[in-house]
Amino acid sequence: MTPTLFGRWQTRLLLLATVGVLITLPFSLGIIGPGASSEFFWILGYIALFGFIWDILYNYLQKFRWDRDWPGAFQLFAGIWEAIFMACVVKFLGLPNVPRELPLNGFIFHYSLVWLGVYIASQTLMRILFPRWRFKGGQWL
Amino acid sequence: MNSAPLRIQLSWDTPATGERREPTLAIPIALGRDFNAMPAQIQGRPVSRMVLNSLEVSRFHVLIDTDSGALVVIDQNSRNGTFVNGQRVATNGRTLLANGDSLQIGPYQIAIAFGARTQLSAASRNSQIFFNPNTGLPDPNPPPPLPVATTTHNFPPPLFQTLEVAVQDLHATGLPVEEVDYATVGAGLGSFVWADLLRISGVKSSQIAALGIAPQPYSRYKQLCLNSQIPLHERLRSNSDSCPDNIWGWPSYAVREAWHNAVRGHWGTALGYLWQVFAEPTFAQTYTPRAENVFASLDREVKRIGWEQMFRYGSVRAIRKTTDGRYAIAYSRTTTGYRNHAFLVAPYVHLATGYPAIKFLPDLQAYREKTQDFKSVVNAYEPHDHVYQHLEQYGGTVMIRGRGIVASRIVQRVYEARLRNSNIRLVHLMRSPKPQGNKFGTSQRRVEHHYEFQPFNWPKACWSGELREMLEKADPNERQRLIADWGGTTTALRHDWQWIVEQGLKLGWYKIEFGEVERVEREPSGIITYIQEKNFKGQIRLEADFIIDATGLDAKVTASPLLNDLVTHYNLPLNPLGRLSVSNDFELVEMRASRGQMYAAGAITLGGSYAAVDSFLGLQYAALRAVDAMTTNKASGIRRLNGLSSLLQWGKWVANKSP
Repeated sequence: MTPTLFGRWQTRLLLLATVGVLITLPFSLGIIGPGASSEFFWILGYIALFGFIWDILYNYLQKFRWDRDWPGAFQLFAGIWEAIFMACVVKFLGLPNVPRELPLNGFIFHYSLVWLGVYIASQTLMRILFPRWRFKGGQWL
Repeated sequence: MNSAPLRIQLSWDTPATGERREPTLAIPIALGRDFNAMPAQIQGRPVSRMVLNSLEVSRFHVLIDTDSGALVVIDQNSRNGTFVNGQRVATNGRTLLANGDSLQIGPYQIAIAFGARTQLSAASRNSQIFFNPNTGLPDPNPPPPLPVATTTHNFPPPLFQTLEVAVQDLHATGLPVEEVDYATVGAGLGSFVWADLLRISGVKSSQIAALGIAPQPYSRYKQLCLNSQIPLHERLRSNSDSCPDNIWGWPSYAVREAWHNAVRGHWGTALGYLWQVFAEPTFAQTYTPRAENVFASLDREVKRIGWEQMFRYGSVRAIRKTTDGRYAIAYSRTTTGYRNHAFLVAPYVHLATGYPAIKFLPDLQAYREKTQDFKSVVNAYEPHDHVYQHLEQYGGTVMIRGRGIVASRIVQRVYEARLRNSNIRLVHLMRSPKPQGNKFGTSQRRVEHHYEFQPFNWPKACWSGELREMLEKADPNERQRLIADWGGTTTALRHDWQWIVEQGLKLGWYKIEFGEVERVEREPSGIITYIQEKNFKGQIRLEADFIIDATGLDAKVTASPLLNDLVTHYNLPLNPLGRLSVSNDFELVEMRASRGQMYAAGAITLGGSYAAVDSFLGLQYAALRAVDAMTTNKASGIRRLNGLSSLLQWGKWVANKSP
């Protein structure tokens, strides 16, 4: 991946709003995960929101790389970091509409599935549905 | 202390193009990025000011002047420093300069010579090997360049001397005239990728004609790979996602190779490839596809899109506008025995003729002209298997010139030959040491043993990311600067190559030498390369049985008779690198006609809004931009590729069904 900042934002938003929502739906209905609750959708929203800020940092760090690229492994590290940050904020500071007693196992399970779904979609479906996306640093608009 | 000369010669290869510059300048000499930032006079003496276009070069970077009768280089508080023979000059400090020294300023490697160094003629300074127009292969003695409009044999006919030709006049010649909607010239990979995208966008194969001399679109590419010692099972320097057979880049070559191994039960190998594309280039060596897999995938796509129906055998002689707002292409179908000419008329014409020529070092060209020895001194892109066969049988010394990817591959080939005959030595002659890699902003390219590393021939983000965007937004002068900073000769960081270089240097069969070549001579002991004397150490001679020039493919479009004719006939502007000036959509805007447009792709467009023009992915990018622009222009039969049509077309690709 060699994303631009706009590419990062656009891709994050689109994939969380589609793949993310599809994966969150069974969690919120209680089909999988710790039980029916709207908190999973709130978490998804916060991932998108905080992500907008993280993307600015990632884009800055990318400038230290000669190839100005962002390997899959870096996406994984970023994903792990964002999960730790989110869990800490929920547990220690609290976020509106997300209870502090959020079950950590359920959170990790939901978060991991969303990350994996988004990563796989970005490697496959995005290229097929948006043939220009990969040539425009991840911008689909 | 020797007294300094009043004039010295500086010589360097322009980083963006590889073009040789050898100005002889009067002392004092100022070098910098900004002409006006350098002083016009110093103590009443006029200053020779040279502009070096790179962001790594300070506005006024360095001054070359005399000090107590000796020549010195004085750093002007430069941001990125000045290096003499690889040693950094203290900021604002000064260092003595001697004949034969090399000066590094940003991406520029400048050789210093007292007095004019060589007697090479201006023509041979940028010497080249041309492709034979009949075979498409590099040929040191090609037939005289035919494809000019004003040639004998009455073809192209005299009416091609006008600016616009009438289609009825073409018919009046009695020669065959064919009309199509889309014509692509070259019929190589650039043409194929363009035609492939047109087919996917709804155009029928009967609407497209591809003019070239080889039915396989990868024919010349494959031959150049084989010549430069990349056998079919070896890997190309290309990304996993750069699939000239598949515009979506999915499944990528790594996924295909992983799948191929997984179904045979080789799970470890399969996972290895997937790990590579996940972690490259930081935690794993960059994945690159095997040549044979790329060619096989192209064979499949050739059949799927009906390339055989689009291909026309022919060598294009001239292209003209027609009076009805289209273009007429005059081409020769002559094969041995009989002469056969024809015309093709189309509203949309695409030029993808590839590299006009191969660069060849002028001193080697001079040697060849003098001795007519085309066997022991070769270019890496010429067929030269005989060199390795001879080495394997009899041993000997081979010299490599140049330090790019081709040089790396030849070092590997010589290493393989050494496994059969340990009596083989390798001398790698480089112009100057490479103490540090190019810098850009907060990043720097890695250097090891004077090789500069980069996974591909441009930083990755030139294909699609930030750097692509930056270049597109830049003005023509900034573009040159960016291309100089990102370009240059690099090789891939392959563990096997690193190991071979380390071993070779340690065991002594591989040696790296530096110097500017004065001349190359045939002597009883072999082929002798004379290096410019350095610091009065006397003349250096390097002996070898063979010399391989691995400096690369590169040339201005004027080296191609066809393009030169087009450029001069229509007075087309060239970009600062001497290539075709194209819009961001790869259109030759000056050639626009009332009913049609002309596009170009590949190496002939370097220097515009896109750097990585000469790559599989770059050709796909150019095709996407061109096809989208033609769609906006309502070209016949094209439908814009949207989410749904793209998905449907991808399904057809998977099912191997005609688009």
